[in-house]
Amino acid sequence: MSWLNRLLQRERLERELDAEMRDHLERQVADLVARGMEPAEARRQAALLFGGAEQIKEECRDARGVRWLEDFVADCRYGLRVLRKSPVFTAAAVLSLALGIGANTAIFSLMDRVMLRMMPVREPDRLVEFQRIMPVYGRGAISGPLFGQIQKLSSFDGALAQSWQGRRDIRFGDQDEKAAVELVSGAYYRVLGVSAAIGRTFDETTEREPVAVISHAYWKRKFAMDPGAIGKSFRLNDTVFTIVGVTPPEFFGTIVGQTPDISVPLGMEAEARGAQPVMQKSHYNWLSVMARLKAGTTLEQARAETGGFYGNLMKADAERQKDEVQKKNTLAMRLRVEPAGNGFDDLRRKFSEPLQVLMGIVGLVLLMACANIANLLLSKAAARRREIAVRLAIGAGRGRIVRQMLTEGLLLALMGGALGVVLAYWSANALVTMMSNGGPRMALDISADGRVLGFALAVSLAACLLFSLAPAWQSTRQGQQPALAEVRGSRWRLGKGLMVAQIAISLVLLIGAGLFGRTLFNMYSLDAGFDRHNVLLFSANFKKAGYKDDRLRVAQERVIAELKSLPGVTAASMALMPPVSGGGWDGDVDVEGYTYGRGEDKTSHLNAAGPGYFKLMGTPVLMGREFDERDGQGVPRVAVVNEEFARYYFKGKPAVGKWLSLGGPERAEIVGVVKNIKYRDLRQEFPRTVFFSAMQDVGSRPDWYSFVFRTSLPADEMFRAADAAVQRVDAALRIVEPKTLEQHVERTILRERMLAALAGIFGALALILASVGIYGVMAFQVARRQKEVGIRMALGAKPAAVVRMVLGQTGRLLVVGCVIGLAGAFAVTRLFEKMLFGVEAADSATFAAAVLALGVVAMAASWVPGRRAARVNPVETLRWE
Amino acid sequence: MNSAKADLPQGTLDMLILKVVALGPLHGYGIAQRLLQISKDVLQVQQGSLYPALHRLENRGWLKAEWETSETGREAKYYSLTKLGAKQLETERENWERLSEAIRLVMRTAE
Repeated sequence: MSWLNRLLQRERLERELDAEMRDHLERQVADLVARGMEPAEARRQAALLFGGAEQIKEECRDARGVRWLEDFVADCRYGLRVLRKSPVFTAAAVLSLALGIGANTAIFSLMDRVMLRMMPVREPDRLVEFQRIMPVYGRGAISGPLFGQIQKLSSFDGALAQSWQGRRDIRFGDQDEKAAVELVSGAYYRVLGVSAAIGRTFDETTEREPVAVISHAYWKRKFAMDPGAIGKSFRLNDTVFTIVGVTPPEFFGTIVGQTPDISVPLGMEAEARGAQPVMQKSHYNWLSVMARLKAGTTLEQARAETGGFYGNLMKADAERQKDEVQKKNTLAMRLRVEPAGNGFDDLRRKFSEPLQVLMGIVGLVLLMACANIANLLLSKAAARRREIAVRLAIGAGRGRIVRQMLTEGLLLALMGGALGVVLAYWSANALVTMMSNGGPRMALDISADGRVLGFALAVSLAACLLFSLAPAWQSTRQGQQPALAEVRGSRWRLGKGLMVAQIAISLVLLIGAGLFGRTLFNMYSLDAGFDRHNVLLFSANFKKAGYKDDRLRVAQERVIAELKSLPGVTAASMALMPPVSGGGWDGDVDVEGYTYGRGEDKTSHLNAAGPGYFKLMGTPVLMGREFDERDGQGVPRVAVVNEEFARYYFKGKPAVGKWLSLGGPERAEIVGVVKNIKYRDLRQEFPRTVFFSAMQDVGSRPDWYSFVFRTSLPADEMFRAADAAVQRVDAALRIVEPKTLEQHVERTILRERMLAALAGIFGALALILASVGIYGVMAFQVARRQKEVGIRMALGAKPAAVVRMVLGQTGRLLVVGCVIGLAGAFAVTRLFEKMLFGVEAADSATFAAAVLALGVVAMAASWVPGRRAARVNPVETLRWE
Repeated sequence: MNSAKADLPQGTLDMLILKVVALGPLHGYGIAQRLLQISKDVLQVQQGSLYPALHRLENRGWLKAEWETSETGREAKYYSLTKLGAKQLETERENWERLSEAIRLVMRTAE
């Protein structure tokens, strides 16, 4: 870098330049003396001939091509001096930029991790994932046999399967601990193109062996990167696995946000899960499948082949089915092939929309911040117009002064950006915690790497151009006018434009905040059919302790009895699916006296509840009774249905006393009708629902039951008491997943809470920025018109009239800004209509409220300078002028 | 300034400097004097144009500069032509010849 060298050698070059000039001068003198001139006269002549040495040197420096860099260094020094001189302005500008840049960087770093970044594997853009789409339930996992058939498709060069097992109990020697375990097929590492950092991985030939590959992070955490970890073994569900390798540090697995500690071969699934093998069961859908496109095969070709293969498969299945609805559903099944270079898209699906909305919001906030700083800079430039006029007058080029002012902007932007990166790290961390939703923290690496820092830098530079170019250009225009003349009209125009822009942007942000706030409010206030306050729930590790069938039922009854005996507990029961658990159990229901039409949907949502469950949950029993201690084994089966079920099948006639069945010979008598309860989530309409008695349930998942109890005592204390109660039943039992019903419900509305909270924070921030901006512009405007105000008041205008004048001016700008903002909001809110609940994208009340809030703030912000103008003593103003 | 001295057409100073330096290494003052001599006192280059031009040509790599002790015993900066500079001189000479021939033709027929 020769210019850098030259800059460093600047001192030497300066000396040489001096020497060269002196040499020239002395030769000239010598020549003149040689022609017979007096030495003194010769020196004078030579100097005259030579001209301005400084100017020549300056041009030589220019010619050397490092001028811009030297200027830049000088500009930076000067700029820092200027910024130090007005610390309040600097602090305000840096802080608002830091907020803007920080928010953008934080959201970007999450977006990058969740949506954009490719996995560190060989040719990630050639990887695809298979998504099985069912007509009613949406996405489903893939069964072992289907995975087997996918492996035979010709479009792909190998396929891999993966199954996340969550945190499991493992045992090293006699030491119990928990580790995140996943099962991966033998081809996993080969298809991804990932090889072990140390040791080896496994492949198709070794996938029946009890071996394990551990992640680099786990190796570091558990073994302090000791190579001796290879060959160590641990026990997982009674099978001993031996560690054979460690994956590379940059490899985090194939699911964004879930890093496995331990990967064991899919061939060992039964041993690893401690259960019956399911790999050959075609109705057990549990795998995530990825494949690598064969070289030369396009995604379209792969889709065509996969679609054709799966279509035939489903046709064959449908032919064996008798039920019309079932046939139709089977034929509507699809197997989609989607690019998966950044991993399985669970997290992407959940968060890509909210993240996009948030990115838009923080982008607007940054624009607001830029508009504000531009405004402040304009005012400052007005204050500096003497300095600028002087510099223009002594011959500084306009470009040079613009450059100086841009440098000041750059310094602000870089300071704001640096602080922003710190804020970003902190807030991205907070967001990951929020996104983890009370569960184990998602493994999202949000440390600021090159991409994130690059983004922050790019945003800072763009912001710098946005906020400093116009003011710099504007403030040098006065140079063309007589120096120091009163020329501020154009600054006022630009200021007004910025103010209108701020009003428009903040209106959009306020409306967005309002819509998301209303959505959350609706979620909280809707009648979900139960009372979520003062109810605690937990489940217990019955399965691990070896409980099943009758023994399990007896233990469950004893746990409920123990809970009821706790001081402060008013009721206790249990349910298979507490409301809004996300999942569901459903089946075709036949009902006494009801004949289905052709193609009519027979499915109802199913559930099971213990005695006194509905009273505990605050769900009114509308007719008949709810479950009680009578509804156990050895008596006829009973069922409770919801309002919607009764309405659908009995249309106002009494439902109690009728029977229903799940297609089999066994019938259950309807003993009660309860109010509708939300089943899967709060957004879902109330589905037809049948509750069976928990004490009669012999369903496939008896250990899934959650215990519920009602108490107004503190949750932590009660969970300790509940744990002790459970252990009184059996010392081997522990409570699992304790949570309040409020927490349980809140976890289902994570997206709404996240968007409402962040849109609210940024809406408030926008309002603050807007009020500062409006205050700044109007204060300037008042100062500009001080003379006019003085004259008016001298002529008898009342202070109130002066305030009215200022407010009127704000009002006109407010109207323009609001019209633009409303149009903008109208266009953008429709983009996220799907995320709203119980409120329309163009909700007029929200729009009106936002306009009102903004109007009040704008008027308040301009009332202050207006008031000050009205207090002005006219005599003093006129004298001052 | 002497009215007999002609203004240099834009861009020709670089070419003239390269040509003079091509005859042998020379310091700034010498280059100006040599130009004056060769042009029979017509081309007088101002220092204000000469030195920026020298530094520009050095910066482009067409001239290289060395500090040598001159006949007067002082350190002086001597400029000499680089290979790149020789090539540049050749291009500029061809251009100039084409251009001056063209101008000559135009001026003649226009009369």
